[in-house]
Amino acid sequence: MKAPLTWMREFAPLPDDAAAVASRLGACGFEVASVDGDVIDFEITANRPDCLSVYGLAREAATAFDVALTSGDTSLPDPQGKASIPVSIGDAGCARYAMAVASVTIGPSPEWLAARLAAAGVRPINNIVDITNYVMLEVGHPMHAFDLAKLGGPEIRVRRARDKEALVTLDGVRRTLDDTMLVIADRERAVAVAGVMGGAGSEVSAATTKVAFESAWFLPASVRSASRRLGLKTEASARFERGADISAPARALRRALQLLTQTGAGEVTGGISDVYPRPAAARTVELSRARLARLLGDTVPDTHVERILVHLGFAVRGAAGGWSVDVPTFRVDVAREADLIEEVGRHWGFDRIPATFPALSAVPRPMSPAIARDRKLRRILTGAGLQEACTFTFIEREAAEPFAADANTLVPIANPLSEKFAVLRPSLLPGLVDALVYSRRRETADVRIFESGAVFSSAGETTSVGWLLTGARLSHWSGDASPADFFDARGIADLVSAAFGVTVSARAATRPWFVPGRTAEIALGDDVLGVVGEIVPALLAARGLPAGPPVVGGELALAPLVREDAGAPRRSTPLPRFPSIVRDLSFFIGERLPAAEVRGTIRSNAPPTLVSVREFDRYQGKGVPDGMISLSVRLTFRDNDRTLTDVEVQRSVDAILAALAARHGAILRGKTE
Amino acid sequence: MSLVDDLRSEFHAALAGATSPAAARALRDQFLSRKQGKVTALLKAVGAAPADERRVLGAAANALKQDIEAALDAREAELAAGAPPPGAVDVTLPGRLAAPGRRHPLTQVRERIEDIFLGMGYQIIDGPELEDDWHNFEALNMPPEHPARDMQDTLYLAAPVPPMSAGRPATLLRTHTSGMQIRYMEAHKPPVRIIAPGRVYRRDNFDATHTPMFTQVEGLVVDEGISLGDLKGTLNTFASQFFGREIRTRFRPSFFPYTEPSAELDVECQGCDGTGCGLCKQTGWIEILGCGMVHPAVFEAVGYDPAVYTGFAFGVGIERLALRLYGVDDIRMFYENDLRFLGQVPL
Repeated sequence: MKAPLTWMREFAPLPDDAAAVASRLGACGFEVASVDGDVIDFEITANRPDCLSVYGLAREAATAFDVALTSGDTSLPDPQGKASIPVSIGDAGCARYAMAVASVTIGPSPEWLAARLAAAGVRPINNIVDITNYVMLEVGHPMHAFDLAKLGGPEIRVRRARDKEALVTLDGVRRTLDDTMLVIADRERAVAVAGVMGGAGSEVSAATTKVAFESAWFLPASVRSASRRLGLKTEASARFERGADISAPARALRRALQLLTQTGAGEVTGGISDVYPRPAAARTVELSRARLARLLGDTVPDTHVERILVHLGFAVRGAAGGWSVDVPTFRVDVAREADLIEEVGRHWGFDRIPATFPALSAVPRPMSPAIARDRKLRRILTGAGLQEACTFTFIEREAAEPFAADANTLVPIANPLSEKFAVLRPSLLPGLVDALVYSRRRETADVRIFESGAVFSSAGETTSVGWLLTGARLSHWSGDASPADFFDARGIADLVSAAFGVTVSARAATRPWFVPGRTAEIALGDDVLGVVGEIVPALLAARGLPAGPPVVGGELALAPLVREDAGAPRRSTPLPRFPSIVRDLSFFIGERLPAAEVRGTIRSNAPPTLVSVREFDRYQGKGVPDGMISLSVRLTFRDNDRTLTDVEVQRSVDAILAALAARHGAILRGKTE
Repeated sequence: MSLVDDLRSEFHAALAGATSPAAARALRDQFLSRKQGKVTALLKAVGAAPADERRVLGAAANALKQDIEAALDAREAELAAGAPPPGAVDVTLPGRLAAPGRRHPLTQVRERIEDIFLGMGYQIIDGPELEDDWHNFEALNMPPEHPARDMQDTLYLAAPVPPMSAGRPATLLRTHTSGMQIRYMEAHKPPVRIIAPGRVYRRDNFDATHTPMFTQVEGLVVDEGISLGDLKGTLNTFASQFFGREIRTRFRPSFFPYTEPSAELDVECQGCDGTGCGLCKQTGWIEILGCGMVHPAVFEAVGYDPAVYTGFAFGVGIERLALRLYGVDDIRMFYENDLRFLGQVPL
């Protein structure tokens, strides 16, 4: 709201210093966007439609500077007599309709009036339209002028639009209305969308000789709904939908008639028609002195409480323990005591209220498990050399689809900002792929990133952690700079599981976004927590990744991990008191046999003294029969109550080897201590 | 005699360059070797000198030989003392470590805020990013058709999805984390002292100062007798701890549907210490958060008695603070994940 200070000063003896007025009102809740000479541009919050006016701002400034506000309406004309045309209200969406007819001579406005409009950011059009705009800016009440000759009847009917009723609005757009919308109509057809915009057919033009001035009050929800359905926001709709002053229509109309005479644009014919079937009841709100002090944390002297409220237009009477306060109709935002406390507080000054600290009256509860989980994940994964990324929750459909089990389970946004933000991510991987591509294309060869957060499907929202690795695991002058592969991705899954105290298993699987043969499901018991694998190169190329080493990654659902982790702290096991005996075995075995199965055979044929089985070499090539691999495992035997003998361990090893040979056709290569 | 002096000068010039054992050995050969040593040759020449000069020349040549031997011995000892022990490595080469991973700058700011409030006895809560209309709007004193809904241009789902926990189907992306606070109050009696961090979504432009997704930490305190003064004391403490020094603040009245009175908190500009600069548009102040006393209608929505309880709430935008903290001028950098940028923030 651009308010020229000279205009505000017509209503209160304010300092002739725009910067000072701007600064003082800024401290009272009216943020100032700019001060340009005499014109202060205020940002008016949605609760203060009364300050979308020069007079409203003058009232606030008069309160802030403790000077008297002059009433603008003492000398307003009040033409008596019968109104020249009938007005009927046929819908509750209009609570008041004031109207007057005037004969006019259309021309330009006087310079002073046009200049004020321009300063306030409104383009002058002609003397009649300018008067309605001038009144709106000054009083805050939107008005409209119809060319009386273009009104059928002539008469005014306020009614709902007929379904598909058409109206060309002042902006030249042909609009199709529906029966939720309130219109101003003449005898036959709609001539304006109530509170939003007038119709082009009854627009005041150079040929106009008689006008009907409208000054009405429409229900905020009605105007808001019509404005939204039509996609049409105007100065009028902004004021009506926030709540106009139901006392204002007649006063605004009288001010317009005063300007009409003053500027020589015309003269009223007949009286004012003011249809106001159910006048609004006065509202009184009780203000307790104790609750005022309690909510602000400061005691405002009674004289200041009363001064502030009276200045702002409230009527204040003393009552037991405080005040009874009558709320003026222009303060549509004040409905209860807290609203009055705010009025007192902001003009008393928030900065005067002493800073205190609330006493702790209960022991705080521990942070939510999800927050603790995310903190732990970040600690573990950054410790493992992964950089945390932060990618958008909504992504392009093309980026999402390859990572969705089924495109029908994607969750689209109804009103996305653009196609780049069209669907909610079904997985963390597409966002991480784009982040990886971004860095790879900007001189970063080795990328290790992770993110934890929400992922979405038509079944709802869950949280997961995802990671991607590419390039050297370790880049050092001493040599090995081998690129990350499947097992690096798998290792992160093991690390995350270990961090939450569970042991997961992996089994071969397929996913469209992972390379077949290098894809695994990670499971906790029978529950699949997620997948790891090598991303399909074509998919990466489609996102713009230049050729390079493989990109591997994985994703795990977090809810099951946190459930497992929720228990008591894990107890340690006593350290062994007797030495262990280690046996390394190397054997040829079928190349397609999963290591997990070999491990299973070993365990199921070993005594309980076998405490660990660990693969330490896998080789295929020279010296190994076709279709086989050489697998080396280290077996550790130990008993908690005694020292094992070589003889009994050898018996166990022999039994294991026999089972491996019988079940898998394993051929012992040799035995090393 | 000048022959002796010349040779001495020549030796000392050469000695200066003999900084390795091999060079010292070569120098010894050059001057003292029995076959072609320059001093050896000089000594041989002494015999051919006239008899009256022979004794003086001989003495001078011998003295030169001894000087050179002593100088070479000293240099070789010196070089031997500096030789690396067996198995020595060049310790100036880089060490071996996996490149460290860092928390994202937005996480760092978020945890910094969380930790300040943890220290003040707050509980950190979490909640769903997809919300229903009740938790995002209605319970927060924003009934349907409320104009304040325009303040938070909302992204809606094309079709509702089941809620994360029991309740109404989710229809929108939360525009603030206040929904979590409603859920918390629905489930717990006062006193309440919580912070609710998380991502929030608005149908906003995507440019240097706006993103359609950003991160918030909201806070809520409810108890008997909580005042605006308590809000001021708490947030002043927060601002000083966040910026690491005592910092001037000001509370400006503002409007939010869910608080009454409402305020915005400005802190003195870090760019100019409050004297006015481009960063703060010459005002000396930077707005960092919105806050206020919980609106009684919110208490009524969750079944708290507003005659008994009062409370304050606040909401901090993390990106805006991160821009200040890291001296970044484009908010989009936080979402590009350029490792050259992410690698600059502290470990």
